[in-house]
Amino acid sequence: MITPSAVILGIFVVYPLARAVLLGTKRCDARGRNCVSNGWDQYVDAARSNEFVDALWVTVKFALLTVPPGLVLGVALAVLADKYLRGIAVFRFIFTSTIATSVAVASLMWLFLLQPDIGVLSNIGWLADLFPVIKSPGLLRDPGTALTSVAASSVWSSLGFTFLLVTAGLQGIPRDLHEAAAMDGAGGIRRFWSITLPLLGPTLLFVLIVLTTRAFQAYGEIDLLTRGGPRPQYSTTTITYLTYGTDSIITNDAGLQSTVAVLLFFVLLGLSVLQLWGIGRRVHYA
Amino acid sequence: MSDDRVTTFDTPTGWRAVGRYGLLVVVSVIVLFPVYTTVIAALKPGNKVLVNPLVPDAFTLDVFRDAWNEGSLGRYMLNSIVVAVIVTVAQVVTSVMSAYAFAILEFPGRDVLFLAFLATLLVPVEATLVVNRQTIDSLGWLNSYQGLTVPFLATAFGTFLIRQVFLTLPRDLRDAAAIDGVGHLGFLRHVAVPLVRPTIGAMASLAFLSTWNQYLWPNLITTENDMNTLQSGLRVLSQSSGVDRPNLVMAGVIIAFLPIVVVLLVFQRQLVRGLTSGGVKG
Amino acid sequence: MSARRRVAVALGACALLAACRSGDSLLQAGNDAPPASSTAPPPTAAPGETLAPTTTAPRATTTTTPLASLPPCPVDALDDVTQPVQITFWHAMSATNETALAQLTDEYNASQSKVRVRLENQGGYKQTLDKYVQSSQANRPHVVMLPEYTVQQMADSDSVIPIGACLEASGYDTSPLLERALRTYQTEGVQWSMPFNVSVPVLFFNASAFEEAGLDPADPPVSLEELRAAAQAIVDGPGNRVGIAFDSGVDSGGGWFIEQWFARAGVPYADNDNGRSAPATRVLYDGELGVELLSEVQSLILDGLAVTVGDNPGGQDALLKLADPQQPAVMTIATSAAIGTVKSVLDGGLIPGITSEQLGIGPMPGPGDVASAIVGGASLYIVADKGDAQAAAAWDFIQFLISAQSQSTWAAATGYIPISEDALELDPIRTTYATDPRFKVAYDQLLAGPSEATRLGPVIGPMLEVRTVTAGAVAAIFNGADVATALRDAAAQANALIAAYNARN
Repeated sequence: MITPSAVILGIFVVYPLARAVLLGTKRCDARGRNCVSNGWDQYVDAARSNEFVDALWVTVKFALLTVPPGLVLGVALAVLADKYLRGIAVFRFIFTSTIATSVAVASLMWLFLLQPDIGVLSNIGWLADLFPVIKSPGLLRDPGTALTSVAASSVWSSLGFTFLLVTAGLQGIPRDLHEAAAMDGAGGIRRFWSITLPLLGPTLLFVLIVLTTRAFQAYGEIDLLTRGGPRPQYSTTTITYLTYGTDSIITNDAGLQSTVAVLLFFVLLGLSVLQLWGIGRRVHYA
Repeated sequence: MSDDRVTTFDTPTGWRAVGRYGLLVVVSVIVLFPVYTTVIAALKPGNKVLVNPLVPDAFTLDVFRDAWNEGSLGRYMLNSIVVAVIVTVAQVVTSVMSAYAFAILEFPGRDVLFLAFLATLLVPVEATLVVNRQTIDSLGWLNSYQGLTVPFLATAFGTFLIRQVFLTLPRDLRDAAAIDGVGHLGFLRHVAVPLVRPTIGAMASLAFLSTWNQYLWPNLITTENDMNTLQSGLRVLSQSSGVDRPNLVMAGVIIAFLPIVVVLLVFQRQLVRGLTSGGVKG
Repeated sequence: MSARRRVAVALGACALLAACRSGDSLLQAGNDAPPASSTAPPPTAAPGETLAPTTTAPRATTTTTPLASLPPCPVDALDDVTQPVQITFWHAMSATNETALAQLTDEYNASQSKVRVRLENQGGYKQTLDKYVQSSQANRPHVVMLPEYTVQQMADSDSVIPIGACLEASGYDTSPLLERALRTYQTEGVQWSMPFNVSVPVLFFNASAFEEAGLDPADPPVSLEELRAAAQAIVDGPGNRVGIAFDSGVDSGGGWFIEQWFARAGVPYADNDNGRSAPATRVLYDGELGVELLSEVQSLILDGLAVTVGDNPGGQDALLKLADPQQPAVMTIATSAAIGTVKSVLDGGLIPGITSEQLGIGPMPGPGDVASAIVGGASLYIVADKGDAQAAAAWDFIQFLISAQSQSTWAAATGYIPISEDALELDPIRTTYATDPRFKVAYDQLLAGPSEATRLGPVIGPMLEVRTVTAGAVAAIFNGADVATALRDAAAQANALIAAYNARN
């Protein structure tokens, strides 16, 4: 019964990880051949190297720029649309629709928005005057705004998913609770903090985990929007992009790629432990 | 979405209603803005994308036909659908089977093996890409449906979710079935699976979506353009026509976007039902 | 609150990161002895002179590879073929160039029945190279188009049949072919690939804006001093214009153009005669010429006469700056391979206010007073171990592509330079060169350049990675960093890359 799963997972998850751990001590060509062994200190050196630390920092920043705003916006929209109004289904559908945007679709849409020469935002005169960075050098080329712009496209793209899940979570909160609290004089905001949010706990935890995983594994949006630039700050080079990016300097060395990839594994491991330990405890179960 | 819980409490009236509608409209405009500008850009003939990005020039559908043909979008979409369906079905089957084993069957080392399964969830796909590509390459599966699907035919996530629900099956039910001579497979088919149908629905939707969205893997293992999925195909389109015909690329983006929106419209109810009653709410 | 705790943890992690940072590059990871970093810049010659070759610890391998030790080219294998031989061709052409290549391929397929070529667009030079090196031999194509900086890498890859073998086996007459184009793709005494799409950087400019600024469109700036004067005239002239747009892209302003400038000045970019007499072990661009050139460009930007458009990942950003409605640049340097695409974009009306007649093409401005350039672009490799009939088919296809008529059609449609001199006497390029001198600028510029092998640009193993670190330095310089320091740091990184490559090969 377990064999199919075990075989697939064994060949395509366990074995590659094990091999990557070994490859990570060597320097090789792009196919993992012609290897020169460098020893386990390659991991330590890589973890402390400029490129890796920068990429880790960018990855953390990217996660902070996408996960909390994504959660907050998703909850805000869900609460906004959680009323029995005529035509509310239309609005709910609109808010969910970004679930239909894949990484490539969303990134190309936003690329067209943000391009400083022929893009949409730069050709809306009053907007470009208000925020000169839109045109010069361009939101995706300015090291200060590039990561935020990529994060914006990612948040937008995940909005539908978050909205859908939080709405589903809201459905499960018994109305009597709200009614009773209202009768006791609790206002909307008070009810939100004391009733809605705690009971949304499991849903929010699930969304948090999914959004965080997506943030740490973001690749497509960076590849299509900035290619890891702008140089020389490499403002949008996350760890994943450092490993496999189109312009990365280690794409021809399967050994170094494996080193960085395995380090990413450990980062994610630490993150998962952190999330489950620090936040899982606070979740209320209805 | 279920309406049976609605009371007058939920229905704002008068100014509150107007205010809420207003807010909803404003937010909707913001959310739809990128889609709107993409549609406008696609509709602009003669590549006049620079002029007036907020107002369409004409309503010509030719560009969509051109994007479909020249961008081979039909072929790419077919590939995406085939790959997503295969992976979804396979993930459901393998997850149900292994979840059953972990929840119902007894065998030595069961719990240790389950932990090992869970551990694979922590491995990011990036750590496995290089080696997986070599494996697929040496199997001769580059540019093939096997290459695009086989590494993803099983998932510990699905196993975990479904096992959660199987664990709620009372023992007596299983014992009674055994007394009646029903084997494991029969029990699985007739009792266990119907029980978890909503969870399977949720899991399948997530699996379909995430496979549909795959970008890095198809990019990595296709060297023949016929076998691109929609996502890597969009990249090819934007690289080859992005300069001289941006309206074509934007049309391609809309073509990639619309079918899922339609699917969403049709399956919205099931999706929500699956997500509410499945493993999401603990 | 969980949010507060998360922020606290994040801050703690950041502090930890900052403390743990080692200050070394990822490329040094695991290496035991740091490479000898050049603290003093190596000796350079004044522009116009060449240096005596510096020999630093050369690799143990010989620098001439006998053709007999390489895979042979079975040129006669097509004679006995009964069924059409299918071959795949990986390329990286886009837009107008892709259309032109498709037309040529269709023409070839229709003209004979022994070979059927299938084109596979891999999306860009880097993607083509990556897919090639990552695939096993069985999954590689029969013919592959790879950019000019891959010569050493392909030579070391043991995966191709050298074109030289085909030339010799078939007795092909290479006299009509541009000698310098062929030599660009020779190393270790072997002709590895056949040049096909040859390009050089050229100056794209807005001719009507030139006139409005009082400049003569028939006399665009050639030297860096003339460039500064022209940019000044433009900035002082009507409209909110900027003189020139630079970019720090890997295959353009941040990498390729630098190599072009060094070749024009006659200064080696890498040691061992630019890697031609023995494999290169280090780069030399952190010397006097490099500092001088990049300081001049930096001052153009800082003085407001030029702008930078950044990394230019798609290759179009510098050109698009010419079309910027608010603050357009009047000039930019880009590859001559873009001429065809830019013309068709302008003809299609994408850029309001600029028609294709207003597009001016001039030689690339650079050091010295004479405009010259070296071969860039890409070349065609025949992949080995794919079968004799397939190799012969590949050779047959390549012969078609470099024939005079094909080169004439190709050059007229794209702006690439025809590698066959006989092509100049055939239409359509003959008429194009006669009626539209813009297309001929690239050709004249190439022929004015050097043709000796050692002056044809650097041959370095990990050339693309070296260009990437160079581009990072150029980007920093464009943002105002100290030129000498930026170049020295980049050179150190580049040398580390080269050392790692040499250790593996």
